[in-house]
Amino acid sequence: MSERLDEFEPPDFFVGRQGPIRGLLEDAAEEGTAIVTEGRPPWRLAWARLRKDRVAMVALGFVIFLVLVAIFAPVLTALIGHGPNEQFTNTGLSLSGIPVGPGQHGFILGTDDQGRDVLSRIIYGSRISLEVGVGSTAMALVIGLIVGLLSGFYGGVFGNVLARFMDVLLSFPVLLFALAVVARFGPSLELLLIVITIFTWPYIGRLVRGQVIGLREREFVEASRALGSSDMRIMFVEIVPNLVALAVIYATLLIPVNIVLEATLSYLGLGVQPPTASWGNMIAEAQNGDLFTVAWWFLVFPCVALVLTTLAFNLFGDGLRDALDPRQGRSQIGSTQKSENKDERSREEMGAAQ
Amino acid sequence: MNASPLVEEVDVGAQPFLEVANVTKHFPVRSGALGRLSGDQIRAVDGVSFSLKAGETLGLVGESGCGKSTLARLITGLQPVSSGHIRFKGKDIAALSRREMRPLRRAIQMVFQDPYGSLNPRRRVGSILTDPFAVHHVVAREARKKEVQALMGRVGLSSEHYNRFPSEFSGGQRQRIGIARALALRPELIICDEPVSALDVSIQAQIINLLEDLQDDFGLSFMFIAHDLSVVRHVSDRIAVMYLGKLAEIGAVEDVYTRARHPYAASLLSAVPLPQDALRSTPRERVILTGDVPTPIRPPSGCRFHPRCPKAREICAIEEPVLEQKPGDDTGHLTACHFPIEEGEMLARVSRPEPTRKTAVPLGSPEVSP
Repeated sequence: MSERLDEFEPPDFFVGRQGPIRGLLEDAAEEGTAIVTEGRPPWRLAWARLRKDRVAMVALGFVIFLVLVAIFAPVLTALIGHGPNEQFTNTGLSLSGIPVGPGQHGFILGTDDQGRDVLSRIIYGSRISLEVGVGSTAMALVIGLIVGLLSGFYGGVFGNVLARFMDVLLSFPVLLFALAVVARFGPSLELLLIVITIFTWPYIGRLVRGQVIGLREREFVEASRALGSSDMRIMFVEIVPNLVALAVIYATLLIPVNIVLEATLSYLGLGVQPPTASWGNMIAEAQNGDLFTVAWWFLVFPCVALVLTTLAFNLFGDGLRDALDPRQGRSQIGSTQKSENKDERSREEMGAAQ
Repeated sequence: MNASPLVEEVDVGAQPFLEVANVTKHFPVRSGALGRLSGDQIRAVDGVSFSLKAGETLGLVGESGCGKSTLARLITGLQPVSSGHIRFKGKDIAALSRREMRPLRRAIQMVFQDPYGSLNPRRRVGSILTDPFAVHHVVAREARKKEVQALMGRVGLSSEHYNRFPSEFSGGQRQRIGIARALALRPELIICDEPVSALDVSIQAQIINLLEDLQDDFGLSFMFIAHDLSVVRHVSDRIAVMYLGKLAEIGAVEDVYTRARHPYAASLLSAVPLPQDALRSTPRERVILTGDVPTPIRPPSGCRFHPRCPKAREICAIEEPVLEQKPGDDTGHLTACHFPIEEGEMLARVSRPEPTRKTAVPLGSPEVSP
């Protein structure tokens, strides 16, 4: 009897956030105190669910591929034989100065108007995208977690002031602010990171605050307090573990937002400066002039890279949310992020279609 | 388990073990988006006094919202009192700051109602049960795991479950974890806030038995809050009946269950199902109250029960009755009522044709207009 129960693994559709369903096992488990379901920790259940999500797994594959490309960018460009900023005026441009198309003269994705290898530039551009996307998201996550935690946990005037401050930041026109900052300090990658972080951490902060307001009323927080735990201990030992899933999901969804934001700022000339390659400034340079009407490749391929990357992160983030928190519906912020992305993407695509 | 006492002995002297004196808890009512104070107050606990002897179990019963849980949270120091005193072994804990309260938390612990909500779903059981030691720095870090596993064994859990998550346990097992956590610091008083109301009946009995065993082994005192009146009767030495933030009646459990003097207590206790009921051809007399519990924001004047009381007279609406011993009652059986129920008096409505019979709860049928 007990062996059979120990081996029993509930099918996955029985397994919710609360873990295996009870009932069947309850009586037996109560009689012989040594019997519980052969359970798995929450993260392993989540991984089992994620693995069944084909779309999310493909997206994850692409993300991993992208990370590898970014890490091994120098190796890859060396293998191709074309540096990202090298101008191949002899082989890369036709006699009339037109960029060569994909596959010609060993340029897999063709060249741009200055005879540079588009593929090498996209590979190097992925480094910028990931640096900014992941870097600013990581910073936003830390700030958002701490501010959201304090704001939600303490509430009152203090918490409300922090909450309203986050609202103010979210209602700020990001591009105008970025323009002003760049005008004052000059464009640089560091500035780009800081500006993006400043305007994205409140997304996390507000989400965390809402979650913490719910969590702090839970009985296990009260139980911890009855033991004499300090506020710090309650916040970091009891509450933060319950925020991890949420933070991971929204970080994954914030990365593509920030990648697009970087591309947008670079496109507007506020971010990464030429000749350093970034997907945003590649698109901007390609649109500058009407050469792309005959040499479409050096405009389209950076756009494709941007769209695929954004899409992959978003799909993976969705899958992650379903896997980590199957009961949680789409939150408001998640859906506004999505529509924003769509807007950004269609804007870029419209640019490509011009 | 660890043989050395974790709690230093305090000189008990002649002080009662726990004394609650005229304790009130008022919550301000906030309204609107800005949370402005409306000036109203919810009088959750409004002048409650009782005492508890070491090793005793006091049952606390009453309808939902009558202030039972608030009272529990006041005694454990989870909420500050609005006024009044709570003396634990002579020390007034109501006046202590959070820092000063910390050592006392080891002596007063709580078992929570909801075994699903009171355990953090994201933490392993071993980690949850190590908390008491970590918070109070009482057991050397290396020895904690062993201590926790011993504790788990004591409450009937296998020590192999150390690394599991709460979701892998059944309700009864989770409540055992909650009890182990409360027990870890060797408290002297455990407040049980409806510890079995979320469990299946068969498992309730196991948890009750466990609590009773632990009481014998560790000389614990319990304050036992419950909806289930038969459970309270089973575990308690004394019982207190609460209505709208006040004690209506308190006394030895058999006294109150068989000779309730307060009309509210009598009607509440007449709802206890008794095994012999099933053998009767006609149902036992029940006192059915009409109306809802009034809001604790504006409680009724005088006796708070008077709008629903079948015996209410003019004075009940004017003068608040004192909780005192009524003539003919045993010592320690106190009732807050101007017109306590007399021996043989019947309270329930009189529509039945056959004469009322004597029951375990001597209630019957004067007139109550339908």
